[in-house]
Amino acid sequence: MEKRLLTKDAFAAALERLAAAKRVLGPVQDGDNVVFGPLEPGRQPALGYRNTRNAPKNALFPHTETLMRFTRTPKGVECAGQGDDPAETVVVVRPCDAQSFLLLDRVFDQPGCRDPYYVGHRERTTVVALACPQPPYAACFCTSVGGDPVPAAPAGVDVLATDLGGGGGEILAEFLTPKGEALLSFFEGQAADGQADARKAQAGEKARAGIRSQVPAREVLPILQKNFDHPFWAGLHGKCLACGTCTYICPTCHCFDISDEAKKDDGVRLRSWDSCMFPLFTKEASGHNPRSSQKERWRQRVMHKFRYIPENFDLVGCVGCGRCVLNCPVNLDIRKIVQDVAKI
Amino acid sequence: MACVCAERDNPYLPIPVEIAKIITEVDTKDIKTFRFAFVNPEDEARFAYTPGQFGELSIFGKGESPIGIASSPTQKGYVEFTVQKAGVVTTALHEMEEGQRMGIRGPLGNAWPIAFLEGKNVVIVGGGFAFTTLRSLLNYMIVPEHRGRFGKITVVYGARNPGLLLYKDELEAWGKRSDVDLHVTVDKGDETWKGREGFVPAVCKDVAPSAENAVCVLCGPPIMIRFTLPVFFELGFSKENIITSLEMRMKCGIGKCGRCNVGNKYVCKDGPVFSFAELDKLTPEY
Repeated sequence: MEKRLLTKDAFAAALERLAAAKRVLGPVQDGDNVVFGPLEPGRQPALGYRNTRNAPKNALFPHTETLMRFTRTPKGVECAGQGDDPAETVVVVRPCDAQSFLLLDRVFDQPGCRDPYYVGHRERTTVVALACPQPPYAACFCTSVGGDPVPAAPAGVDVLATDLGGGGGEILAEFLTPKGEALLSFFEGQAADGQADARKAQAGEKARAGIRSQVPAREVLPILQKNFDHPFWAGLHGKCLACGTCTYICPTCHCFDISDEAKKDDGVRLRSWDSCMFPLFTKEASGHNPRSSQKERWRQRVMHKFRYIPENFDLVGCVGCGRCVLNCPVNLDIRKIVQDVAKI
Repeated sequence: MACVCAERDNPYLPIPVEIAKIITEVDTKDIKTFRFAFVNPEDEARFAYTPGQFGELSIFGKGESPIGIASSPTQKGYVEFTVQKAGVVTTALHEMEEGQRMGIRGPLGNAWPIAFLEGKNVVIVGGGFAFTTLRSLLNYMIVPEHRGRFGKITVVYGARNPGLLLYKDELEAWGKRSDVDLHVTVDKGDETWKGREGFVPAVCKDVAPSAENAVCVLCGPPIMIRFTLPVFFELGFSKENIITSLEMRMKCGIGKCGRCNVGNKYVCKDGPVFSFAELDKLTPEY
């Protein structure tokens, strides 16, 4: 494993060089927001941000993706090929979002049942993670769900960059995998020594201490297993607008819809994000809807993340990024909900 | 990724089929059986299925609909689905004609537990339109090469009226067999109906199949299930030995799109077949 020290400016320049050579998706300033999007050549990455407003799942599991094209022939409508090949991509994300990729992997890349579209994107994607030594949002709770703002050598990350502070703002770049090492030529800097490791460890301790939200994410599993019919669920959803914001900006939500769009003789079959918060999500053609009110839908969201995914994968289905907390228009707060579940 | 049409391992890619035959099953004309022939003969082997599995019927431009397979794998050269006209895709399908092409994805889901049924007496109980995958199971069990693997076969099948009974020709043929104990009933008969009248639970009580070394395979509308279950419990069937098949809205069919998630299971992947003992462990959201 190669480790290098660069100044902050040199690191930003390296990302810009990378963006000139490959497709790079990362934090970019967009008006008042920092969003996860393409780092166009000549554009500065927004390295001073804490986290992007939207989750980076779009890189592996696009908001809308063409599954196949079809065309009308004399014999009927037939498949005529599929969407575009996924491009070689470098994503620049925070550690919680890098952890979300591992959860998506568990869903889309199961042995014997691989999603070819997701796997195609995943294989061509290099993950650069920017550790969070700065005290992050008050809504962050990654340490409650197995995450770490300054991780040692996280799974699924190819290059880990940690801001060690100091005069010019020094970045410690660790090239953890062969995929990461393939980017070495872009990041020119001096070799890092043991002192840099010590500084990183120190930054990590400070960052972990700076995370103020503690959520009993793992502890609620046995409580959720026993309380499917608890009156608690009836009091949860009153102000929910069923807008789906929480699921769309969540880095781990992966529910999708498949729909056809046709114009004259040609058309596409698309996959697009969907949400368990929407009333029609489970409505059957007969009119029957197993989750007929927002109560059942909210319970599903909590159960899926904190009971079903832990039962199936021994992981919490949440990475503690706090986006749903920050962006819910009616201030429904998953941290408080999980804390309240713990009190049942 | 090369053109996925050339790839055979893309689970989203429908297998091209041609409608070989359309049979209108009921007087109301809203249930039809579609017989599909594979456009590429080698695809038949790719679609090797077991009774109880389902397929996504795929009409480009309209979408897909998850439907249980109604034919038996012992019937070679084609695959059949019995479809009620209900939503966008099934309505479009009902308007299609023989000779037209479309697609099928599958086979999907688990299946009737054939190995578990082997060596046991099998009681098949079906109500209304839910008889389709039971027909697949029955036709699978009664072919000469399989019949010896199963004990006594009892079938109770009910519909609201004689005009709504599916597979009328086959009902006649099954009724003539000495190795199938068939009881067909209707809620209310008409002037031509000479068979049984009565609800399925009452007929099951009357037939009273022994629970000794027996498994009940039960499919029907929720109201029928609710009243039939106690009958079988009373006869001594345990929840492990009563098996059913769930329906849910599904899109991907491979446990990824999240729509049919019930508890920590996905009906499309871990089901649709569950025993009532397994359903007890699931959350009641289906």
